[in-house]
Amino acid sequence: MSSGSVKVIVTSGRTLNQGRAMEKGKITQDYEDAVALCEMGSTTMEALGIENGDTVIVKTGLGKINVKAKLNKNLPEGMAFIPCGPYFNYLLDSYTQCTGMPGFKSLEVTITAARGAKIQTVEELTQKMKEGI
Amino acid sequence: MAEHLILKNGVVFDPMNGIDGEVMDICISDGKIVEKAPANAKAVDLKGNAVMAGGVDPHSHIIGSKLNVARVTSPEVNRHHPYPATSKTRSGVAGIIPSSFATGFLYSAMGYTTVVEPALPATKALGSWEEIEDIPGLDIGLLPLFCNSMITFKYVEEGDIGGLAAYIAWTLKKVGGLGVKVVNPGGTYAWAYGKNVCGLDDEVPEWDVTPRSIMTGIAQAVQDLGLPHQMHFHPTNLGRPGNVHTTMQQLDAIKSVKPSGKKKEVVHLTHMAFDCLGVVEEGMANWKDVASGGLIFADYYNKNKHFTTDLGQITFGQSMTMTGDGPFQHSLYLLTGGKAKWSNIPVDVELPGGAGIVPFTFEPKSPANAVQWVGSLEFALSIKDLWRLFLSTDHPNGGPFLKYPLLISWLMSKRQRDIWLEMVHKFAVERSTIANIEREYSLNDIAITTRAAPAKILGMDKTKGHLGVGADADVAVYGFNPEKTDLGKNPDLILKHFAQAQFTFKGGVQVSKNGIVAKQIHSRVHTTHPKLNEALSARIDRELEEMMSKWFSHSFSNYPVPARYREHLEIPRVIDSTSVQA
Amino acid sequence: MTEVGNTFKDIVCTFCGCLCDDIIIEVDGEKIVKNTNGCAISKERFVGHMENRCLQPTVKGNPVTLEKAIQRAVEIIASSKRLLIYGLSSTENDAQREAYRLAEITGSVVDNTTSVCHGPTILGAQESGETTAALAEVRHRADLVIYWGANPAAAHPRHIPHYIRQPGEYIKDPKKDRQIWLVDVRETTTTRMVDRFLKINPATDLEVIQTLRALIRGTKLDVTEVGGIDIKELEEIATAMKTAKYGVLFFGLGLTQSWGRHRNIDAAIRLIQDLNAHTKWGLMPMRGHYNVSGANKTSTWVTGYPYAIDFARGYPRFSPGEYTAVDMLARGEPDAMLNIAADPVAHFPRAAVAHLASIPVINIDPKFNMTSQLAEVNIPAAIAGIECDGAATRMDGLPLYLKKVIDPPDGVIPDRDILRMMIKSLEKVMK
Repeated sequence: MSSGSVKVIVTSGRTLNQGRAMEKGKITQDYEDAVALCEMGSTTMEALGIENGDTVIVKTGLGKINVKAKLNKNLPEGMAFIPCGPYFNYLLDSYTQCTGMPGFKSLEVTITAARGAKIQTVEELTQKMKEGI
Repeated sequence: MAEHLILKNGVVFDPMNGIDGEVMDICISDGKIVEKAPANAKAVDLKGNAVMAGGVDPHSHIIGSKLNVARVTSPEVNRHHPYPATSKTRSGVAGIIPSSFATGFLYSAMGYTTVVEPALPATKALGSWEEIEDIPGLDIGLLPLFCNSMITFKYVEEGDIGGLAAYIAWTLKKVGGLGVKVVNPGGTYAWAYGKNVCGLDDEVPEWDVTPRSIMTGIAQAVQDLGLPHQMHFHPTNLGRPGNVHTTMQQLDAIKSVKPSGKKKEVVHLTHMAFDCLGVVEEGMANWKDVASGGLIFADYYNKNKHFTTDLGQITFGQSMTMTGDGPFQHSLYLLTGGKAKWSNIPVDVELPGGAGIVPFTFEPKSPANAVQWVGSLEFALSIKDLWRLFLSTDHPNGGPFLKYPLLISWLMSKRQRDIWLEMVHKFAVERSTIANIEREYSLNDIAITTRAAPAKILGMDKTKGHLGVGADADVAVYGFNPEKTDLGKNPDLILKHFAQAQFTFKGGVQVSKNGIVAKQIHSRVHTTHPKLNEALSARIDRELEEMMSKWFSHSFSNYPVPARYREHLEIPRVIDSTSVQA
Repeated sequence: MTEVGNTFKDIVCTFCGCLCDDIIIEVDGEKIVKNTNGCAISKERFVGHMENRCLQPTVKGNPVTLEKAIQRAVEIIASSKRLLIYGLSSTENDAQREAYRLAEITGSVVDNTTSVCHGPTILGAQESGETTAALAEVRHRADLVIYWGANPAAAHPRHIPHYIRQPGEYIKDPKKDRQIWLVDVRETTTTRMVDRFLKINPATDLEVIQTLRALIRGTKLDVTEVGGIDIKELEEIATAMKTAKYGVLFFGLGLTQSWGRHRNIDAAIRLIQDLNAHTKWGLMPMRGHYNVSGANKTSTWVTGYPYAIDFARGYPRFSPGEYTAVDMLARGEPDAMLNIAADPVAHFPRAAVAHLASIPVINIDPKFNMTSQLAEVNIPAAIAGIECDGAATRMDGLPLYLKKVIDPPDGVIPDRDILRMMIKSLEKVMK
């Protein structure tokens, strides 16, 4: 896999750390650490040639965002997980099929390795959205 | 707000005080009816209008989670019935299950001032008090359910009626209840096992209790406590053809209960239209053979004085059935071929198995519906003593309370009944004696069955249901002249005037005029606080803490409704129950 | 209130829909020092209640008095043509009731976070009804508990240990007498806590549920697998469900947010209804925000509808997909937003956030959140259940009273009082 990129389905959801950090406060390092990450299985990591903790770029038709890769041996090939929060939502379209509910659970994305690339803080991400980027 | 009023020259119907259509003045001061109003009282001329006490409805589901489940699962019943806000009143919806503000306003518009919610799961009482904050213009009571609770079963099993009475007293105080409701005793509990009960001596799973021991035990406990309202009773076998016989058996069983002495009635059988279905001669107990049970039950009613009842009249059109009778609601769902939206709400230990909700449309052309419709009318027109009856639709089961004027028209007008008999399935005539009944309720009869009798049945007749000195100044004025209007010949006038009172006064405050509510005032909540002797009180605190800690999923200390939700609304009535032995 | 010195017993935890009410809170002077019985998140909520706090009202980032902040908020509201009021699930019932009043007098849209959690559950129930369960009944009777698309270990940490893996009146040994199963598209931390894990393929929930319905009705299916599960195993599952004495299905956002949305819930409700022809079953949504059930309840009794309500015509109208917050924002309709006790900037998709960023936002929250970074007006609030009292509703509909255990920071008042100030001021402006 020399391209250094894989296509997977990303699902989002709650984690204990995300819940704790949210209760502590959103504008904290804890919160960023809890939600600016992408869990994937070992096959996916190998394909990307990355290690636990490396930065990856997750991309959809709507945009791309840097998050930290996290090994989750239980995730099957072709599936990744990003905790619910602003990093996942940055990639998500707003179409709700007229139900009010966006498609939080299955997003087709491309993941690319980007070891060493910077991850935006929660404040930077908000600023970015404020400026409409 | 006018503090003092003289309502002059109205034609007054006040059966509790023996007044049947007399022109007289009603004086109001500080929310009460008084002998003579102060000199600065504002006079309102009611010449040519009918005047009655505010309507009293002891059985109408207007509060609680079952209503919200119905609203949420069936928004279609409300979508076409908006209730717009005004500068003085809040908005809402006014369909089959009106929203909270609209509920209060719609009752005020009809001249009703007292309404009792007859099915409160006590664990959820806090939510009910919060809702009442948003139901304006009424005096309200809540009847907690005791019939399918493991705590009740424990005391009944041990034959410990004192313990049972103490549990009831404790609950009424802690959650703010007015009286005691019983629904399909043992049956709703059995529903936690997917079962039901039907016979008086059927087994209830896991417990050595029967429908008989539960209903008689609770009825006796209510009498021993001396509660103002007798046990409010929804029997087993609801909605089953032929159940008039099992209902009479159950009422017979409750005859063994000793009255407290204040009243001779020991049970209130509610929504008899659902409890008193007959079958044709040689018929089977099924819907094909259903016949009116009205005459049979009227005969029983005329001979047996230990109970009171209400109609639970079905009114045709869309309704929403909701009862604490889980297995009945499931059977109704099966009756629709599993098509209906069936909801079931268990409420922890107080209602294992749970209440159920099924939207239902009563069709005039349905033979079964036509027979059920006619049965309760036949009953109401065949009984002698109207003081043991009140009018109801078991809102929203038989139809919304907004249909009361229609029910009144069927009772007051033979002409109206004939018009309807043309429209409904022929079984209504063939399987009842309705076509031969000439009787028409008078305005006095209506005043009895919508005000005076329900107030007496609730044990609130000191201040409610009449216009004598000392009564609360709850007054309904209807815009027709009883001396010149023949309502029996003009049923449309009944519909018009009883739907929109000319004026409604609640506690001396004019809340509506011509059916338009222009004043939003807080409701009040009437509760009963039985005072136990010290020994029994100490015992029940200890035993309930033990049982609730074991059986409930929340903490014992979080069970009572805190004063902050109650004190500004509650009118507690302390009664002496110290004679109940520990 | 049970108070021993500075220890409060039977406190209700206001994190998730479990509303565990056995929490013991110890307060030392002006600090909460200990939370006993609470889960890791509960401890963070109580002990960390002063972390990341917003203590000062601001307008455009500048500190102002509370009165000035309210004044600016009222200016924004009064001059807007299409206000969106949103949030309300992490606050107590009285604040919600004031929000509806505000929506009514301003002719606004009011939506709560239900629209992005269990909104589809409500839409499913509108098709089929709601055959629910209660937590005590489950503890006493359930011999088969299934979690579907839910991860309680992360989102409702005490759901299993406090309510489910407990002995009940008729379930003496919760390990032996009660089976706990989990259905999900991936292994989660909950997987380790259950007796059986069934992994299904993503976006096949509806197929699997409908297959179970068919099997329970005795239909033979000519397939080898559905959703990645062998048909033989599905047959065995169907039989187990039919023969359980008392079953309960707890479902999470894995069912409401995934492919099929409300259709999944509709099918799940029908599955449970079908099972009641054979034995006793109920189902219950795993409600997330501690009082999102309360938001539905208060909204429903006040307006007739649970969420997505428009007051533009002077009475409530209900239309999910139209008056739901994400749809409103994505179509660029609101010209101002009042956000209470939620964080749409963190939890809404990008296009919705983009519009939100372009309009004046009034944000009421105890803490700094992402929405406060974008809001023109920020007003700090007391935390209900810690710094002020109130009432909330548990996921099974049980109302509980929330106690106050400590004073809020100086000058910080409850959501309901902030909203009342706004209403009072608006009534003057709008006269």
